Amino acid sequence: MSSVIEELLWTEKYRPRSLKDIVNQKDIVERLQKFVAEKNMPHLLFAGPPGTGKTTAAHALAHDLYGEGYTQFMLELNASDERGIDTIREKVKEFARSRTPPDIPFKIVLLDEADNMTADAQQALRRLMELYSANTRFVLAANYPSKIIDPIQSRCAFFRFTPLNKEDVVSRLKYIADNEKVKYVEDALEAIYDISEGDMRKAINILQTAASLGKVDVDSVYKVVGMARPKDIKEMVETALKGNFTGARELLRKVMIEYGLSGEDVVRQIHRELFSNDINIPEELRVMIADYLGEVHYRIVEGSDDDIQLSAFLAWLAMMSKRLGASTA
Amino acid sequence: MSLQRTPWIIKYRPKSVDEVVDQEEAKSQFLTWIEAWLRGRLPEKRAALLYGPPGVGKTSLVEAVAHDYKLEVLELNASDYRRAEDIRKTVGVAAYRRSLTGRLMLILMDEVDGISAKGDAGGLEELLRIIPNTMNPVVLTANDPWKDQLRPLREFVLMIEFKNLSTGNVVSLLQRICDAEHVECDREALRYIAEKNMGDVRACVNDLEAVAEGYGRVTMDLARALVRGRDKSLDLWRTLNDVFYAKAGWMAKKAVSNSEEDYETLMAWLNDNIPNKYAEPEDAFRAWDALSRASLFLARAKSGSWDFLSYVFDLMGPGVAMARQVEQSPQRSRYQYPSKITLMAKLRDIRALRDSIAEKVSSRLHVSTSTFKEDVLPYLFIIFRQGDVNVAGGLVVGYNLTEGEVRYLAGARASDIIKAAEGIRRQLAKEAERAAAEAPRREAEEAEKKQAAKREGQVTLDKYFGGGLGQAGQPEKGRRARG
Repeated sequence: MSSVIEELLWTEKYRPRSLKDIVNQKDIVERLQKFVAEKNMPHLLFAGPPGTGKTTAAHALAHDLYGEGYTQFMLELNASDERGIDTIREKVKEFARSRTPPDIPFKIVLLDEADNMTADAQQALRRLMELYSANTRFVLAANYPSKIIDPIQSRCAFFRFTPLNKEDVVSRLKYIADNEKVKYVEDALEAIYDISEGDMRKAINILQTAASLGKVDVDSVYKVVGMARPKDIKEMVETALKGNFTGARELLRKVMIEYGLSGEDVVRQIHRELFSNDINIPEELRVMIADYLGEVHYRIVEGSDDDIQLSAFLAWLAMMSKRLGASTA
Repeated sequence: MSLQRTPWIIKYRPKSVDEVVDQEEAKSQFLTWIEAWLRGRLPEKRAALLYGPPGVGKTSLVEAVAHDYKLEVLELNASDYRRAEDIRKTVGVAAYRRSLTGRLMLILMDEVDGISAKGDAGGLEELLRIIPNTMNPVVLTANDPWKDQLRPLREFVLMIEFKNLSTGNVVSLLQRICDAEHVECDREALRYIAEKNMGDVRACVNDLEAVAEGYGRVTMDLARALVRGRDKSLDLWRTLNDVFYAKAGWMAKKAVSNSEEDYETLMAWLNDNIPNKYAEPEDAFRAWDALSRASLFLARAKSGSWDFLSYVFDLMGPGVAMARQVEQSPQRSRYQYPSKITLMAKLRDIRALRDSIAEKVSSRLHVSTSTFKEDVLPYLFIIFRQGDVNVAGGLVVGYNLTEGEVRYLAGARASDIIKAAEGIRRQLAKEAERAAAEAPRREAEEAEKKQAAKREGQVTLDKYFGGGLGQAGQPEKGRRARG
């Protein structure tokens, strides 16, 4: 038959659908399976770092409860993308009114990245949870459970998701690679684990990207990881530190145009690079840069012009480098 | 381009009293007064207040006189020395002693009507204490001497009025500049500029330079199109000049608060022209630091109270203007059109593409759009820019990406990938046709396959997409078949 056909991102394609397909987090899966058996459950709070299976577990739970067409009984919201508690309230209200599943007395509201909500919004959320508790259960997913207010925590069964262990990640990567008929060396899969630190989403993304470059070996894995962090950002900082403000600002414009990055994106990426060994920054400057960068970030969040703030930041770098140069000379 | 240029308004400032245009009456009054000082007699009024509309030559006359009579000038930026204590320390100290060479020192305080009675505690009173006793000539200038707060001052000073210049005089001055600069000009156009600016020579010369600078010649059409009030870019040009060449903070503040341009545009212009004006890193940073705070206060003003707007002006005007501490004078004067403004539209398009990709893919991956942009998008870039063209093409089909979106992801390789995607689509359509023909047999196969998959306890694609994520009317099977 045919050869190459349409592709999907492997994180979508290989997402486990049922609880029994989830390779790790055994304790969690067992507890969730009990809810399925009993056809009853409390509100749930899934907490843990990115890529550990929180969202997947919520979908798998709903799948096992309601069967294939489970999505009609689950409302999936992402706190980061919703416009505020009012739209969430409207959607939940609408959803609670909709058809109930045949033999299970509740529907599920999955609220992802719930820790991105302000404390006030969370208070409103708590009232929503109570208001519709007759026929809905909330599953909240969060990276940092400490950012979830106590009244919500106390109403939820708590599930702590931990980074995946090496064995689980590598065996899953192997399974995917075999299925995709991708050539790989074992060391490369271990390198992927080392880099992704138990974040399955990241591990699979690296695998797929390396595979698209031809083969999965240690070199291609590191190449991908290197490229995933735009060089321009690093170069921009280093250029400014050489005192070349104009060059640095050209790079700033370039990343903003070429990748459509917002000022906040740029700040985040600079921050990511700040303490890495790859970037050439005088040690005594790093913390000062972090401090100034934080201020820049705060000002952008407050609504000021990102281009101006970042220009000021680069000018500051250029000035600091000159001062340092003068003091060491 | 790296040539340092002096703005014409400075370059063609009168060098001697003879070159001061018009103002004969003011000239003779002022010269009589200064000559009294020079002869060693203390005039009755030890301070002179030169008043009149802006740009008629008040400061120029003082500077020309100082030049001709070889006087030292102590020039004070009125805005910086307004409190009683400041005035005592500067004017006060200078007033009572002769310069090192024993010559008279001319103390020039510009635009005293800018001193506010309330805000600048005691400044005027202090000035009033100094003037009757000063041993050096004190010269003050003002646009409007009839302000209430200046009433006590008026009694102690010699009032010298500067009149509006006649159009004829201004035109011949402009003509002289054009000749000196070898700029082709139209007499009519010069007249037009002079009339529009109502005798304000400073404004005329600035307008003239703006037109000549941009077009190399001065014609009536250009003058009509560009002269103040008609064209914002000229207003901008003037505002920028007033900020970057401001002698005192309040002048810069006036420039930005009087500009017709909106604050964001003004900031964008300042933002892009700081590097042209400030070569010294320390100065440049000071300017940006002020501008970045101005931007912050603008955000606060917009979301909170418009009261904060006044800090915006303080920081973007005087803040930027007074940043110069290391370097003496501003860099070359050609202004750069802010790339931010030209790029905004482009940026908007690019971000729209990124957002629409995020919208499409993130829901399928069950992540937020911001997680997508941070954690997934970088990999898509690699696949589309450097990975297998067919893989990228497959993703285009899989996520139904538009041509624009592919261009965003793939850059130069976009057309190859789009071609690959088209090939895949055609193939899929063919298969769909064949599958439709074989539907009955296929269903049986399908069921069997599902069973097999279940037995293996694996996730297969067909099972995965049982929910009908299918695209382009494609049947469940054949979604993926490699090799």
